Amino acid sequence: MSYTSYNKKNNNIALIDCNSFYVSCERLFNPKITNKPVIVLSNNDGCVISRSEEAKKLGIKMGEPYFKVKDLVKKNSVHVFSSNYALYGDISRRVMKILKEFSDKMEIYSIDEAFINLSFVENERLDEFGKEIRARILKWTGIPTSIGIANTKTLSKVANHIAKKNKTGVMVLNKDIDEELKKFHVFDIWGVGKQLSKLYIKNSIDTAYKLKNISSTWVKKNTNVLGAKTVMELRGIPCVDLETHESKRKSCCVSRSFGKKVENIEKLKESVTTHCLSAAEKIRADDQLTKSVTVFIRTSPFDKYREYYSNSITIDLPIATSNSIELIRAATEGLKTIYKYGFFYQKTGIILSNLSDAKKEEFNLLTPLLETKSKSLMKAIDYTNIKYGRNAISVVQAGINNSWKTRREHFSRIDTASFEDLPTLKI
Amino acid sequence: MKLTTPFYLHKVGAGFPSPATDYIEDDLDLNTHLITNAPATFIIRVQGKSMREVGIYDGDLLIVDKSINPKSFSTVIANVNEELVVKTLIKEKESSYLTSGSKNITNKINLSENPEVIIWGVVTYVIHKL
Repeated sequence: MSYTSYNKKNNNIALIDCNSFYVSCERLFNPKITNKPVIVLSNNDGCVISRSEEAKKLGIKMGEPYFKVKDLVKKNSVHVFSSNYALYGDISRRVMKILKEFSDKMEIYSIDEAFINLSFVENERLDEFGKEIRARILKWTGIPTSIGIANTKTLSKVANHIAKKNKTGVMVLNKDIDEELKKFHVFDIWGVGKQLSKLYIKNSIDTAYKLKNISSTWVKKNTNVLGAKTVMELRGIPCVDLETHESKRKSCCVSRSFGKKVENIEKLKESVTTHCLSAAEKIRADDQLTKSVTVFIRTSPFDKYREYYSNSITIDLPIATSNSIELIRAATEGLKTIYKYGFFYQKTGIILSNLSDAKKEEFNLLTPLLETKSKSLMKAIDYTNIKYGRNAISVVQAGINNSWKTRREHFSRIDTASFEDLPTLKI
Repeated sequence: MKLTTPFYLHKVGAGFPSPATDYIEDDLDLNTHLITNAPATFIIRVQGKSMREVGIYDGDLLIVDKSINPKSFSTVIANVNEELVVKTLIKEKESSYLTSGSKNITNKINLSENPEVIIWGVVTYVIHKL
């Protein structure tokens, strides 16, 4: 059985993806690194998270630990940067604002990717329209993009893959779709994870084309709803809508790797306290409460000379809260139970889960009157920190000299959204 | 990027209300005056004296709009020899060139002879502290 693509006339979805986004941001004010190999490292200079085309050609892999590519970096004078999320965030907001002017129906998928609905554009004009979007983003922000256009989200992702290799950076996938799907690996399809691609390959479904033409009953029996939706989308039948309004998060995780490994529980307490403060601030900004706190700690998995240790614990709170002090109290208790003496810890983190809307939360009979008082204290803290800068008010347990703070050896220190760190030109 | 200058008309109190109250719209917002296209506008700090002649001094802030196409005598940010610099663009019939704003003609860069030079953005305002 073969399915011809069902061309619903008025559904055109574009996926806009910024090319090597973090590298492109670093290049914006630093023309010396245009056309040179450049990589950006994750928090604490741990792993490679963005690579220029030149760096990809050297064989540097995505997600590879930095120490593993250090020789390659030295030999080829690769330019290395610590991640500068303030800068990337500001540039991302600019790109999204520009996209929003092209289409109101938009889903921001990640910091460097967005879907927009282009159903109002005639099919013959799609390519030209895509080129216009690409040219505007490049001129206005300096960021190069790739744009894939098709009539479902899944197909627009396929089109985007092709656009990346295309000279114009734009690919409209609305004819000869099967030819492209025959060349497309099943594990590159959006929504097909590791497990699912293993299952497909075991059943000799190795291309998008074969997956598209599989029997619906087989998919329903062997995978889940999402698997079935992916197959429908490959057939050109839209099944996954754009998530145009931002849904509130369901959990909130804050974690950091240490610049220097930490043995002392007091130092771990400081970092866990700092995580609690920033996580609590985040959920308060969204008017949310949490019902449980998870604390996790681990040593370095790459340390050949020391034993690996990793543990976590979840503490359920009697009443949903967003109070920093209560969260710190719970997390500190949790930390004490999982901490083991004699290990050199590399990372700590906390996760607030079971988040709920603060406005909808019913009053518990046990809710002490104190709650209202602490709420106004939290409000005052948030207000002061917004006005006078992060950590103007903190708690003593967060420590004052944080020797464990993140390592950022290759930081560009440019922030286009802060007067302190504006890009500077010598003229 | 948000700068607002609070704008108070009168004290709150008993008595006859100010007839101007109806005309208060909002705080005066310098952004609306200095920035016409926010996603394409960057603020850049300068160090150095080479552009004194066009009124750009050491430590000034430049408002730079990347979406604008430069005209003759526009002050621009350009990528020259892998470096961002501030120059004046001069367009003539035959060719265009960049100067440092001074009349020193020997110091100009001809754009048709140097195709690798790229105009990065156009300077629209200078913020200078007196």
